[in-house]
Amino acid sequence: MRVPGSFHLRLLSVLLACATVILLVWSVFAQSTTQADSSSRHEVAYQWGLAPWAPEPVVPPDNPMSLGKVELGRHLFYDKRLSADESMSCATCHRQEKAFTDGKARSEGIDGKLGGRSAMSLANAGYLPVLTWMNPNLNSLEIQALIPIFGEHPVEMGMAGREELLFERLKSEPRYKKMFIEAFPKEATLGDAGLYSLSTVTKALAAFQRSLVSFSSAFDHYRYEGKADALSPSAKRGESLFFGEKMECYHCHGGLNFNDNIQHSRMPFPELGFHNTGLYDVDGKGGYPQTNPGIIEITGIAGDTGKFRTPTLRNIALTAPYMHDGSIPSLAEVIRGHYARAGRASADKGQPNPLRSEFLQGFNVTEEEVVDLVAFLESLTDFAFVSNPRHSDPWRAGVQ
Amino acid sequence: MKYVNTLAVMLGLGCGLGLPTAHAQQQPVEIKFTAQVNGQPFSCGQSYKDIGSTKSTITPSDFRFFVSEVELLDAQGRATALTLTQDKTWQVENVALLDFENATGPCRNGTVPTNTSVRGTVPSGKYTGVRFTLGVPFKLNHVDPTTAPAPLSSTAMFWTWQGGYKFLKVDMASAGTTAAHGHGAAHGAGHGGGAASGFSVHLGSTMCASPSKTAAPTACANPNRLTVSLPQFDLSKQTIVADIGAVLAGANVDVNTPGTSPGCMSFLKDADCPPIMAALGLPYENHAAGLQRFFSAK
Repeated sequence: MRVPGSFHLRLLSVLLACATVILLVWSVFAQSTTQADSSSRHEVAYQWGLAPWAPEPVVPPDNPMSLGKVELGRHLFYDKRLSADESMSCATCHRQEKAFTDGKARSEGIDGKLGGRSAMSLANAGYLPVLTWMNPNLNSLEIQALIPIFGEHPVEMGMAGREELLFERLKSEPRYKKMFIEAFPKEATLGDAGLYSLSTVTKALAAFQRSLVSFSSAFDHYRYEGKADALSPSAKRGESLFFGEKMECYHCHGGLNFNDNIQHSRMPFPELGFHNTGLYDVDGKGGYPQTNPGIIEITGIAGDTGKFRTPTLRNIALTAPYMHDGSIPSLAEVIRGHYARAGRASADKGQPNPLRSEFLQGFNVTEEEVVDLVAFLESLTDFAFVSNPRHSDPWRAGVQ
Repeated sequence: MKYVNTLAVMLGLGCGLGLPTAHAQQQPVEIKFTAQVNGQPFSCGQSYKDIGSTKSTITPSDFRFFVSEVELLDAQGRATALTLTQDKTWQVENVALLDFENATGPCRNGTVPTNTSVRGTVPSGKYTGVRFTLGVPFKLNHVDPTTAPAPLSSTAMFWTWQGGYKFLKVDMASAGTTAAHGHGAAHGAGHGGGAASGFSVHLGSTMCASPSKTAAPTACANPNRLTVSLPQFDLSKQTIVADIGAVLAGANVDVNTPGTSPGCMSFLKDADCPPIMAALGLPYENHAAGLQRFFSAK
């Protein structure tokens, strides 16, 4: 291995490397000083308002965050003109005070018909690699925004085929022009057709949803910020049950966002989790109702029967009723009537769903334990999030 | 401009000071690992026969493990620590995650990228063997997994705050347990990835008392870390084989002892554990440690 004279070669290469580094640093520095003069406020890095311990969401390269874009997205999110009869906005089913859910088992579209599943919370949507209950391929907030606006099965906001009408409505709102130009300066150079498009509307809606970060619950103060008394004794006992081997909750609801579907800026790639919790068993062989069969509807794989994406438990006390179809009214009943029984279906069938997750073995639970576990789940409510004016309706009288 | 010149001087100084260390020549090292089931390569969706005491058929749905404290051995048995490349993905400090599942088929809840080697540098020299630990060192095992750097950010490998990480995670559907629920083996093979009928081998530290479920412990009564020594290992030609079939050889994967975790998850009082822990070369309750049969050099 030791070649005579190699030290001199190494010396030369190290010196060359150093010289290159110096030149590179010099050029970057020189460039940045000249650019600083012409830089506009669009280039100022977006401030997430996150505690230092919390990682940032993953942002797609073609839709960088900016304050202007988030503000535009917020206005669109709360704008009823996004629905055919101007009766519904995104916020109709995603209300801030309910952590961006609607309190209903299933939500009505503009035609008064119920959708298939319960409106999901948008808290920390930017940390989700897969967005909805039952479609494992839906991984982009930009694409997802098209579904409630234009979807026909079911009809939600009913704008299918009416995008030109949508753009006309947006153009006629005096507040929007300045906001669109500020959010999309490049598109603005292409005129109205570039500025008012499905691309800009969905990108702004996605940016607003990414801004909905929620890491300021009592549990966060206790766990990450060292405030030992932020949890009540009951919630602390509930924490032990939640992270314990009897109930096994944390296997699927662990991690930063209390679910096993997570991506963030400190992770090299996303993690996904879909599970059958034995809520149904229509045929004694693990089958689920036709209306909501689980991700098998998309994948066609028999083993995916009854599997749904794990939801976050952050703000869960505000998002009743529970499960993908809102079929359980309270957290106590979710614990007692579903998970303690190794899945609710076991009550009818006399045996739990054979396809359910191996972590659902059932458990004996006392009333005190139910109270403690619910107290822990309530400690995941982020009151600052649900009252944050940055996320609120900008169209209300007096709000600009 | 003044800043730039100052920067240049500082860099020049830094580079100059760095020169003497260039003397200690380093060599890059890649240690390759292969996952097998009874001598067959592990693959998501593949079924494997003759597993365990009942000669069952299994369909694995996960195969990942942590190795740490990797050392190369010379002919005299002297150990030199491998400095791992800090790749922000698979390796951090002296820990590496080996991941053989690719999220296809029954491995659905896994991750698409795989990692089948440990990479780093050692001072140049002649090495004839390798030694490593199956597991995460205590110092890193009880960090906060929700904010830890990759690969310690993996929720799949996160176990409990007290116990730390799963050092080894192998999940499977097995013919017998699936049949017990009224399904044939062929049907059961498609489940994997968390069907109730599954059998799992999850290795981790146990009895790690701590003030709360989300606080770190000061020690674990059962660390369950395995030191593996392969004194005859040719880095340039050989691979370290991890064969879960050998670990399951004495276990009955067709049944799970009622009231215990599915398969063996290292917890005490689980009748499914003794043959598995013995084959992993670890003591379990009153059973003495056997010879580890998981890893071999091929």
